[in-house]
Amino acid sequence: MKDSIRKAHLASVTDRFVRGQMDRRSFLRAASILGLGAGALGMGLGRRPFYGISQASAQEQELKPSAEITKWLSDVGKPFAGTTLRLATESTPPSNAIATQLKQYFEEATGIKVEIEVLPLEQVLQKLTLDVASSLGTYDLYYIDQSWAASFSQDVFDPREQLKNADLAMPNYNIDDFLKPLVDGIAMYEDRMVGVPYDIPIFIMQYRKDVWDELKLPPPATLDDLLKASAAITDAKGPNMYGTSGQMKSGHYSLECDWTAWLWGHGGSIFGPDGKFTGNDEAGLAAMAYWDKLKATMPPGVDGWTWDGEGQSVGQGVAASMLSWGEFFPFFDDPKASKVSGLMEAMVPPKPAATLRTVEQTGFGEIPGVGHQGGSSLAVSKYSKSPDAAWIFMQWATSADTQALITVLGGGTGPTRTSVYDDPRVLANARVGAGTTRHLPVVRDTIANYMGSEPDLPAWAELSSDMIPVALGKYFAGQSGSAKESLDALKTQVDDLVAKG
Amino acid sequence: MNGSFSTRMLRTIAAWVVVAVFFFPIYYWTSVAFKHGNDIFNRPPKLFAFTPTFDNFQKVFGISLGSGGITVTPGGGNFYMAPRVWDSIVIATLSTVLAVAIATLAAYALSRMNFRGRHSFVGWVLSTRMMPPVAVAVPMFFIYKNFGLIDTYTGMVLIHALMNLPLAVLLMKSFFDDIPSEIDESAIVDGASRFMIFRRIVLPMAKGGIAATAVLCFIFSWTEFLFALTLTTTSVKTVPVVSSTFVTSIGTAWGNMAALGAASIIPAFIVILLVQKHLVRGLTMGSLKQ
Repeated sequence: MKDSIRKAHLASVTDRFVRGQMDRRSFLRAASILGLGAGALGMGLGRRPFYGISQASAQEQELKPSAEITKWLSDVGKPFAGTTLRLATESTPPSNAIATQLKQYFEEATGIKVEIEVLPLEQVLQKLTLDVASSLGTYDLYYIDQSWAASFSQDVFDPREQLKNADLAMPNYNIDDFLKPLVDGIAMYEDRMVGVPYDIPIFIMQYRKDVWDELKLPPPATLDDLLKASAAITDAKGPNMYGTSGQMKSGHYSLECDWTAWLWGHGGSIFGPDGKFTGNDEAGLAAMAYWDKLKATMPPGVDGWTWDGEGQSVGQGVAASMLSWGEFFPFFDDPKASKVSGLMEAMVPPKPAATLRTVEQTGFGEIPGVGHQGGSSLAVSKYSKSPDAAWIFMQWATSADTQALITVLGGGTGPTRTSVYDDPRVLANARVGAGTTRHLPVVRDTIANYMGSEPDLPAWAELSSDMIPVALGKYFAGQSGSAKESLDALKTQVDDLVAKG
Repeated sequence: MNGSFSTRMLRTIAAWVVVAVFFFPIYYWTSVAFKHGNDIFNRPPKLFAFTPTFDNFQKVFGISLGSGGITVTPGGGNFYMAPRVWDSIVIATLSTVLAVAIATLAAYALSRMNFRGRHSFVGWVLSTRMMPPVAVAVPMFFIYKNFGLIDTYTGMVLIHALMNLPLAVLLMKSFFDDIPSEIDESAIVDGASRFMIFRRIVLPMAKGGIAATAVLCFIFSWTEFLFALTLTTTSVKTVPVVSSTFVTSIGTAWGNMAALGAASIIPAFIVILLVQKHLVRGLTMGSLKQ
């Protein structure tokens, strides 16, 4: 083999190993075939591969639960060895990281088996509803989307109560470390804490800095900036590229999420303090007028997309920006999955066009803010046959150490604990590339200062996933008249449903 | 041979066009399984000119393509769906055998025996096909939970057999109806018992029909989603349910879904190949009799 070919192949193999596309054994085998002894690894390849290998080795060593936590798990878990715990969850970065890479450490330490059923969000709701209706305890742990918190509030243990059992309490679990806005927005319903915040997808502004620079546009710091820049990009680059994107599939929850961002951003709210629908008031109509104009700058297929299509449209360079879930940012930075790796910039959501309403001016605990927050809690089911074992697992899964591991392994999802944002392992991942965490400072700032949270009421699951997105879908399809007519009709429906309780 | 050369040529071309049209979705889906994320969404779509990758299969099945050829590392993929394909094979095969066995006996009785309510029985069987599965999924969940059938092979085999039974009975009855009853009468005159006639005369003649029914039952079981979702949790899963797990909070893993989908075509394809000879005969039985 020619030396140049051998070197090129060697570089390719090393690059694949560093990027995690090749396991250690295959790498060593390929390296030895190419005449590279293990001892030469650090000498012959220059700084980058050596650094990469060292880092990979370090990660293998470090990306494990701390010895202290493993010891606690081993001690407290002994009486429950042989128990099997079940959790039904959406396929989210935290759940996937636990299911595929982390739960083995918990199982080895405690002898408790954990079965994680990963499903699309709507099917998780179906499974949990069946479990509650039957009270048979098929699942020990519930993954509760924030829009279901009110519905399931009486079917789970309040973690504050569970923490009082000193025998099972994890040392330094520190429930106050969870970001307070998330506790209020995701986990609280009336006076009950419905689990602890588990994951936090939240709207942040993500835009193509190269395109903005090329067209000399100001960063989208206000809603007006966003509209003007989107129109300018669509004019300059359409139909190959559009200014912004959306998740506007008729009848899908994602459409309701977009709506609330524009509604809150124009000084509106879903409910008033009397619990009546207010999405059709003056601010609501201003939001719809803005949305109509913004939609004209989006790709033509936008009203068939959920967050999947929206993310792909940006990742493939069809749209130049999106005000949407920050979870997508690590995917955009992955050169294998997207065409915009290193080109995206994250910033906090644009400033609202009018003064935000206060919580007192809305209903059912609704918190207006352009940074629409999704997210979910993790809770122990009241019907679980092994609630103590489930509580041990829940503490481990939501502890600061595990959350840091999840953030690094799970592709940069937004941590729910303050301390995790400052964890050295998380900070070390803040570079361009797959699984980046370089957007997390923006996520943290958005949670603290710009977060909007949906109302909490038992009917909200139906309103947010069915009634509201169906009505909005009909409006954009031109089937329900003007924005005022559509929203007036929606008000009648919503108020009727809420009145029924 | 009928027709001129140009007519035959035209027919051949038309046949190839029809095959290409029907084969294209399969090709496209399978090609997605071999594409990187960027190539999947390329505009315009990359139909042929893309760099194939085994990454999706590696993640889904733990199969990797190295210098030593294909290697399988159970559990080595991110998802490792191979046991789930096996679950689907077991459930579809056993439920098909059960449904066809019961349906064959029931259909023969309905075709050959006169008893009160025979016609209304057929109507009742047909009516069960009209009921949407979602209407019974929740009650079935409670029944299954109480009988300990949730998340078991037995439970899934039973429900899929039950689901396929009405169609299988009606299909088999039409096949038995196509076999002239005079054959049975002749055998009776020769002293054969009813069961002997069924086993030695009618059943061999209905082989094609049985094959056609079995294939349909297998495919319906292979693709059934709602019961498989509702009545399983983690121990037993079928391919359609695990396919849905690729729909994640940050988008759909199309490459992984395509890898599982492309691989899951193979068992159904093998079943059809095995019974192909009988299948053609079964589907055309009506035109051969009487």
